[in-house]
Amino acid sequence: MTPPHIAEILPPSRILVTGASGLLGRSVAARLAELGYQVTTFQRSPSHLPGVRDVRGSLEDPQAVEAAVAGQHAIIHMAAKVSVSGRREDFEKVNILGTEQVFNAAWSAGVENIVHVSSPSVAHSGDSLIGAPAGPADPEHVVGHYAQTKAEAELIAEARGSVGINVLIMRPHLVWGPGDGQLTKRIIDRAKSGRLPLLGSGAPLVDTLYIDNAVDAFVAGLRRLPHIAALPIPERRLVVTNGEPRPIGELMMGIAEAGGARRPSLRVSPALAKAAGSVVEKIWAATGPHQDEPPMTKFLAEQLSTAHWFDQRHTRKVLDWTPTVSIDQGLLALTRHVRRTGRVL
Amino acid sequence: MVSWWRPIPANGARLPAEVLTKTPLPGIQTQWSRLVTAESSDGPHAFHVLDTGPALQAQGITPTGTILAVHGNPTWSYLWRAVLEASVRVATPHNAWRVIAPDQLDMGFSDRLAHPEPPGPGAASYRRFGQRLDDLDGLAEALELDVDRPVVTLGHDWGGIISLAWATRHRNMVDAVVTLNTAVDHPSGDPVPAALQAAMAPGLLPSSTVLTNAFLRVTLGLADGGLAPEVAAAYRAPYVSRNGRGGIGGFVADIPASAHHASRAVLDESAAALREWDKPALLMWGPKDPVFRDQYLHDLLDRLPQADLHRFEGAGHLVAEDRDIAKVLFTWLSDTFTSAAATTAVSPPPADEISGLHDQLDQMALSWRRDSASVVQLADDQTTEVSWAELKSQVDSLASGFYELGMRHGDRVSLLVQPGNQLTAILYACLRLGAVAVVADAGLGLKGMTRAVRSAWPDWVIGEKTGLLVASTLGWPGKRISVNALSPRLVRLTGAQASVERLLRRGTSTTLETVPIPDPESAAAILFTSGSTGPAKGVVYTHRRLGALVALLRQTFAVSPGSSLIAGFAPFALLGPAIGATSVTPDMTVTKPATLTAEAVAEAAAAGDATMFFGSPAALSNVVATSGELSADQAEALQRIRLVLSAGAPVHPELLDKVQQLFPQAQLHTPYGMTEGLLQTDITRQQIHTAMETDQLGVCVGTAVEGVEFAVAPLNSLGRPAEALRDPDSAPGVLSEIVVSAAHLKAGYDRLWLTDRESRRDRHRGLLWHRTGDIGHFDPSGRLWVQGRLQHVMTTPAGPLGPGAVETRVDAIEEVARSAAVGVGPAGTQAVVVIIEPSPGKNLTVGSSPLALPELSRRVRDASVDAPVSAVLVVDSLPTDIRHNSKIDRTALASWANRILAGEKVPAP
Repeated sequence: MTPPHIAEILPPSRILVTGASGLLGRSVAARLAELGYQVTTFQRSPSHLPGVRDVRGSLEDPQAVEAAVAGQHAIIHMAAKVSVSGRREDFEKVNILGTEQVFNAAWSAGVENIVHVSSPSVAHSGDSLIGAPAGPADPEHVVGHYAQTKAEAELIAEARGSVGINVLIMRPHLVWGPGDGQLTKRIIDRAKSGRLPLLGSGAPLVDTLYIDNAVDAFVAGLRRLPHIAALPIPERRLVVTNGEPRPIGELMMGIAEAGGARRPSLRVSPALAKAAGSVVEKIWAATGPHQDEPPMTKFLAEQLSTAHWFDQRHTRKVLDWTPTVSIDQGLLALTRHVRRTGRVL
Repeated sequence: MVSWWRPIPANGARLPAEVLTKTPLPGIQTQWSRLVTAESSDGPHAFHVLDTGPALQAQGITPTGTILAVHGNPTWSYLWRAVLEASVRVATPHNAWRVIAPDQLDMGFSDRLAHPEPPGPGAASYRRFGQRLDDLDGLAEALELDVDRPVVTLGHDWGGIISLAWATRHRNMVDAVVTLNTAVDHPSGDPVPAALQAAMAPGLLPSSTVLTNAFLRVTLGLADGGLAPEVAAAYRAPYVSRNGRGGIGGFVADIPASAHHASRAVLDESAAALREWDKPALLMWGPKDPVFRDQYLHDLLDRLPQADLHRFEGAGHLVAEDRDIAKVLFTWLSDTFTSAAATTAVSPPPADEISGLHDQLDQMALSWRRDSASVVQLADDQTTEVSWAELKSQVDSLASGFYELGMRHGDRVSLLVQPGNQLTAILYACLRLGAVAVVADAGLGLKGMTRAVRSAWPDWVIGEKTGLLVASTLGWPGKRISVNALSPRLVRLTGAQASVERLLRRGTSTTLETVPIPDPESAAAILFTSGSTGPAKGVVYTHRRLGALVALLRQTFAVSPGSSLIAGFAPFALLGPAIGATSVTPDMTVTKPATLTAEAVAEAAAAGDATMFFGSPAALSNVVATSGELSADQAEALQRIRLVLSAGAPVHPELLDKVQQLFPQAQLHTPYGMTEGLLQTDITRQQIHTAMETDQLGVCVGTAVEGVEFAVAPLNSLGRPAEALRDPDSAPGVLSEIVVSAAHLKAGYDRLWLTDRESRRDRHRGLLWHRTGDIGHFDPSGRLWVQGRLQHVMTTPAGPLGPGAVETRVDAIEEVARSAAVGVGPAGTQAVVVIIEPSPGKNLTVGSSPLALPELSRRVRDASVDAPVSAVLVVDSLPTDIRHNSKIDRTALASWANRILAGEKVPAP
């Protein structure tokens, strides 16, 4: 069914959020439901979100994807395999084939609006990013299975976006906050056990995105998608950050302390960390499946020792959005959350 | 026939596009390129020519005039590609220039001549200077040069003198001359520049120029920072084979090193004819040229006194590669040949009546105060005092002595003398003669001073022994006069022709009576800027404009005949005699203001009965720091001071409060100004406190002083100032470039034609303005708040921001001695970084990293409420300029911060 032509996607439109098991997906789905959208989530485990319809399944299962997509006005395609280690095939199945499934299903079902969630790492190969624009995805040159497969996925989204489907590509950068197990909890856990790598000077500037701002940005992107779809493809790639680049060392100290850990002081030279990261990655890969991520990877070492921050002017203009929670306010909120609940998640 | 020489065969001209099918020439369009056959004195020759005439025609544009551009050796017309490109780009239907740039014969892609013999002064198969002029005649005809419209010649190197000679040969047809580095005259007795000697040595000439590409390679290597490989390849393209390089050897052989050289007569004739050239001329010069050094420029200026000159500090022989000469050229052409721009503008009236710089001295020497002190100097526990009558007599003695030595009106005199009594006498003697005092103070450092002195090219250097020895060692120009009488050995070493000491001993003569008092519009002084934002610039002041400054000082601070001031800040101190005020030089190293102690000020106050103290922020800071050592008598001497004036940079109100405690009876003033206009606004300590309650961004420097008019050029999101000026009250609170107009502003920048033009381009309200390069805003009460320099503007996504907007707030934090705010990242989306110099004894960093402790970062962010701060870094000390010891080198800091915050490992700035 084709939804009526509307200038903006407003409640009570029907929205599918794939990958609502992670913090970002869950938070976006919950917020959309609060705002009065009719929200369906799609992932393997139940979302446990009130007022939200769950369709459980895997991106590798076309019938399950079709069932979730049917009857939606718009899709926020967030599901992805996010990790710094693992076998290439596993990343391909979820990130590339999964994205194709979603777009195929949308095409068959006549769903015209898709927010494709990507990552700034799809466009950059480890050099410093200083006030950088959102460049095109570059699977040939980026580093690691995750970035490579997400870059392929983004190219699929772009191709579909230029024929018949309204596509917006959003690349949130380093989302953190209460409930975040990816970055926030790891920093705090490692700081507590004295394993937090603060590399070199700790000075490189890094952009991050506080979770509440990320949710606001996704809601804005969804709502304004029909407007944005009129822009040429390069202007529809939006890196999303707080727009407050900070020295990586200061940020990690801030997050660690907010989580009740002592201020970390460990120092490793960036070159040493990169070398160590490479070795650890290989050992990790060779020793079979692990529950946790390796303690250090080459990718992580690069992330921690070079600048990564972005030009946010276009993003803010296109989304008609500005972050409402500053980094300092976010750290305060994280502190309160950890004190109140005794944990990050 | 020389047996080892394999004859070079003749070869026809070819189009570069046909020869170089694989490697395109970067920067030139194929359609500019064509072959032309021109009749010369020895018959027809084919020339390759780059010509933008057809391209302009294709746009339907009829050129306003034609530029004939002549390259030198061993380049070719490729040298002019930026000029060719600009001629098409900037062309409008009413202002467009066709550029014709031929390759000289035997050069570039033009015809190659047969050379049965190697190049040498007597080898007849090589083109001579005179023939090259004939070649241009033929080309002008063949190209149908439009002589009904303006024709301008442009040259470089050999092409410089050829184009100038051709212009003088056709003075009815050519309307203006322009040249880059060249030489029109080389005195037969002088050695050829060392850089050329190797190439010209008879045994070496053929091998260095023709048989190998050594001469070509060396010349191309002269580009500032090196040429891009593809550009260097383009220059080499016509000269890759030995047979292509005959012309290079021929040109070198045509250098008339001896008086009997075949081209000598024509060259001498052309050099002489240049003196008759009375039409417009423009010189663009790269001073780092090992061949055409500044003395050739000086010779050209001597022949073409009307010439406009832009000297690109830091550029060399290939100035056309090193700098944007097209911009200077087309701006100048437009000014010279398009009358529309020629609206006149004037300065506002001065604060008070202007009198001659000598008038007060003359009057004081005759008045009842004739035996009271005019200048007092304290040094090494000695006080030297000179009365008004004595000073007048010293000035007259020196003026007549200098005159007899040959110093004349308009001569430039570099003064390498420490501020004090002697400098004052010497300066006023120079002013009396109409000589121009060149003041480049030691604060610039030896390198900076050498650059400054070479750019001003003084006719005289007056200095103390050490200064003269340095001048000799570094080969500074100018005849020498020493301050003290020197031993014969030192006379030989320094080349001093006389000494101030002996001239004073000899006394006055009647010579001076015949020397007229200089005209108010003639130049009086060239003061060099501090060079904290690029190479130091020479700022020219006329007698009238210095007189206006004197009038302003009298008017604003009530400095009047009979006043006595302590000179901790040299520029104002030197004006003492013009005001009629006693100037007292305290015991200090004047070039290092931070060496001034409270005791020295007190001693100076006591010795000179001084009631005023002129200093700089660094001096004030040290005076406060050393105030504990004052005796009771000394503290009392400071009580007599009624006026404390600090210039050079803003002073923090907290420091001012401490200064006030030392000088309880004094009004504290911190006027704002710059080398180009020493006094623009004024504010007192109390007014600063009142202003600060309004909590605006930057440093409040007060309101305009009498006779000063302000305008603003608002900054856009990329930090660029608007072209159109606005009145301050129409744009309150808007961050802008500050633009000023006053009778006591600079007369101009010295030998920086385009810089000068750009600084004075505005015609707002019919006034003559000066773009200060400072940024700030005016508040509704008309107070100016300065936020720093235009080139230090930070362009955040929220808009442009001056460093001062952040620094003044951060400096108030207890652990912070001083701070610098810089932008990192691309223009328009920069992140603000604050770099802190901690108060003594504070450790504020995370381990050995420059990263500030999170607690300090938090306080900095809290202080800088209006500007989000991304990172806070800490260094032991912030780099500053030497002169004031107070201008922070933010450019260096920004580049350091950019690297460290990108993750590079770099040592502290």
